[in-house]
Amino acid sequence: MKSILFISLVVLFASCQSKEEIMYQQYVVEGRSIYEKNCANCHQSNGSGLRDLYPALAKTDLWKRVNAQQLVCIIKQGQKGEIKVNGKSYSGYMPANTKLEAIDIAELVTFMKDNWGDKKIYTFDEARTALKNCP
Amino acid sequence: MQLKPIALNVLVVLSLIIASCQEKKSLPFLGPKDTHLIDGKVDTIYHQIPPFRFLNQDSTWVSEKDLSGKIYVADFFFTSCPTICPKMKTQLLRIYERYASNDQIRILSHSIDPTFDTPIVLKQYAERLQVKAPRWNMLTGDKAAIYKLGEKSYMVTAQEDKNEAGGFVHSGAFILVDKNRHVRGIYDGTQETEVNHLIEDIEILLQEK
Repeated sequence: MKSILFISLVVLFASCQSKEEIMYQQYVVEGRSIYEKNCANCHQSNGSGLRDLYPALAKTDLWKRVNAQQLVCIIKQGQKGEIKVNGKSYSGYMPANTKLEAIDIAELVTFMKDNWGDKKIYTFDEARTALKNCP
Repeated sequence: MQLKPIALNVLVVLSLIIASCQEKKSLPFLGPKDTHLIDGKVDTIYHQIPPFRFLNQDSTWVSEKDLSGKIYVADFFFTSCPTICPKMKTQLLRIYERYASNDQIRILSHSIDPTFDTPIVLKQYAERLQVKAPRWNMLTGDKAAIYKLGEKSYMVTAQEDKNEAGGFVHSGAFILVDKNRHVRGIYDGTQETEVNHLIEDIEILLQEK
């Protein structure tokens, strides 16, 4: 009896979320672990960056200035030379993340958008197309 | 003859019990030890960091003489390191900030990529990290000397490896050295909890005369 109640509750709850919503949440969860493994060392878990050495990702003008296409290429290919974040110049280099595939990047970008951007999903198809268009 | 080992065991157990009752107030001396006789008494010679001389981010020579009477934390890194170094630097910053007004504490970060990490590169890195010598010295110099010091004296691995991200393999260890250049603790500098232990141990060393 209890288990039936439990299952029906779960079904009831799950049905409140659309398929898109569930997928979005999955992307965010997966994206967080990819972020922790590949990005948090420098940019920190909360996206604060490290002083003037590594730029912040949270609370930055980055999300208005850099579009998803540019972001994907920076993640995949790294960043050399000067970059400005919140008016501050950073000149260190960011290594390429060649091991990250389209699905990883879609999840990672969705996680970052969820935390610091427009809270919209960045789909696998978008990531795949963006990767093809990187210089 | 049968009793002796038992008596010894009892003694060991008793001393262990007594030891465990006492508060942790002293740190071990790490590394190979040597003994010799002075006036008929056995004296232990503890492993000691040998004399060294490297350039820091201000292009100033730093030697063991500058660490005389100081407690210091040593680590090995390189400025272009994409893996664990940023984590280590985040943790070292905690120590730097905590002992901001304590002249007894120093940090020595040795570059294992001294060809690239010239004093000018280290200067820029230190400035961006907002830290200053002499409290935090970033050191560069003869590559072989740095590697030898790392492996033989600080007991950590540091070597070139083309297969590693960034081209070097090195441990993320922090080495705690006392006022007489004895190694008193080795910690994983990438783990916040390990660095909490390091800070506790620095407090113990500060109490030592």
